Amino acid sequence: MFPRGKILIIFFILIIGFIASQESFAITSNTLSDSTVAISSVEDTHSADNLPSTFMVLPFVILLAMIATGPLFYHHFWEKNYPIIAIILGLVTVFYYLFFLNDTHSLLHTAAEYLSFIALLSSLFVASGGILIRVDKKSTPWLNAGILLFGAVIANIIGTTGASMLLIRPFIKINKDRIKPYHIVFFIFLVSNIGGALTPIGDPPLFLGFLRGVEFFWVIGHVWYIWLPTILLVTLIFVVIDSRNVSKEESGEKFSGKIEFKGMRNVFYLLVIVISVFIDPAVMSWVPSLSPLPFGIREIIMFSMVIISYQTADDDILKANEFNFEPIKEVAYLFVGIFATMIPALQLISHEANILGEKLTPGIFYWATGILSSFLDNAPTYLNFLSAEMGKFGMNVNMPAEVLKFEQLHPIYLSAISVAAVFFGAMTYIGNGPNFMVKSISERSGIKMPSFFGFMIKYSIPVLIPIFTIVWLVFYF
Amino acid sequence: MKSISEILKQKQTGLYFGNRVLLPFSCHILKLNIENDLITDFSPCCKGVYVSENPDFMEIYFHDYKDLGEVITKYEAIKMIVVEKGKDIFNEKYHITLALHPEDNHQLRIEKLGENQIFIE
Repeated sequence: MFPRGKILIIFFILIIGFIASQESFAITSNTLSDSTVAISSVEDTHSADNLPSTFMVLPFVILLAMIATGPLFYHHFWEKNYPIIAIILGLVTVFYYLFFLNDTHSLLHTAAEYLSFIALLSSLFVASGGILIRVDKKSTPWLNAGILLFGAVIANIIGTTGASMLLIRPFIKINKDRIKPYHIVFFIFLVSNIGGALTPIGDPPLFLGFLRGVEFFWVIGHVWYIWLPTILLVTLIFVVIDSRNVSKEESGEKFSGKIEFKGMRNVFYLLVIVISVFIDPAVMSWVPSLSPLPFGIREIIMFSMVIISYQTADDDILKANEFNFEPIKEVAYLFVGIFATMIPALQLISHEANILGEKLTPGIFYWATGILSSFLDNAPTYLNFLSAEMGKFGMNVNMPAEVLKFEQLHPIYLSAISVAAVFFGAMTYIGNGPNFMVKSISERSGIKMPSFFGFMIKYSIPVLIPIFTIVWLVFYF
Repeated sequence: MKSISEILKQKQTGLYFGNRVLLPFSCHILKLNIENDLITDFSPCCKGVYVSENPDFMEIYFHDYKDLGEVITKYEAIKMIVVEKGKDIFNEKYHITLALHPEDNHQLRIEKLGENQIFIE
């Protein structure tokens, strides 16, 4: 017997297949260009007449509220039922668009975006799970700071998820004799969140922006001078706190000083995944399009890497990393629901922002994106505010050419939401995917982590809010 | 009853049925991890876990889980820090970190935690 979740996901795929077959007529008759992303270019700008009903935002709100509260207040129910909840809420929106709005463009575009998103995350997750780093050095505040900075940098190459997976265990092991919750909290701040603000691979919101048409190197060019002082400031605070936790007594334990690295094959797979990000007809014209299918060569390469890197990974490494598919399965299910239910929210927000116009400043976008990214997942939050910002200037987030124009004409707006979505993801356990993963690995390693509110009251509010306020005053006020 | 070191040396397995674990030795459990649950309360009022001692074996019931074979995947384990009955519980050198792996036919592989794995006391 198939579990209910699997039956629903097959049902979901069949619907997407049905939409794709309908769409193929429209595309062939329009002799559209190649990219899967280009499908969106046929999407019409939504006038007030064909806007979805405001009530259709409800599935999105319900899903986000459950994602935020489920793991905290009813986690056994949530763990068992989240796939079915996410898929059912997603199907409500899909049926509404199919049978009430007759809008297949938005659905197919969203399916393509979802597959790209999950292909990147799952491939980075599985490939980095087959790598093991062992550092046999004495724990010092500066060594810890070095690891955190290294993690912040590589988060931009292998994603915050990949960097967190790769470094959290060696980080815990180095500090095993004096580990405290703040070690893990600062790891979440720097490696799982703030670090990944420089490239679209770094953090899911930026990848969604890239899929919508933001140029790959735009982020690093417009964010590095905000990223660098923030990273250094947070690291400095860590060093000050960590210096007070160093025992003056010598433990007598001998350290070889060696850094051991296992799973080189998986480093190669990571490299393939990173390169494949650019294998898109919109970026390289020679890349064939698989349109009207909602995926391209890039996604095929990435999903192949998932299979290859898992099947060829060393069993001992997977065991040492306590590898399991649960975290990525959770992301895959939840984001099916998020991507589907957020379609009406995106369209309505864009429309409203166009009406509010002048009242919306970069500072407002910075704080609004930031506060919502703290409590909701930062990827859909970013996309909603990108839609709102573009709506303010009468542009459509579904058209890559307009996104490109927007990043050139109004960089401060795009920079404000990019920085806020990534940075504020560190405010709570639920702000960004890897946060919960790092918390879970730490607890499985025997570390008692602070509660949801403890994390905020003891760490993120006193440490991060003052720094994020300085960022706002200097760059977006 | 055999000691933990004998059990480990002879690679003797335990058993599991649904949410019930049977261990072929007797010990004091100091700390236990299953999935994301870190358990240190083994008193009778604790709802998540119940430990029962018998003359020849020990039982642990995990009330929040239905089937341990489904919950604990191939590369995961239930981790616990234990002290053998009769040994000085206050002496850290007697604290042993064990990993329990549910396998086919209700077998529970018991091993000392490897050097790559971590379970901090």
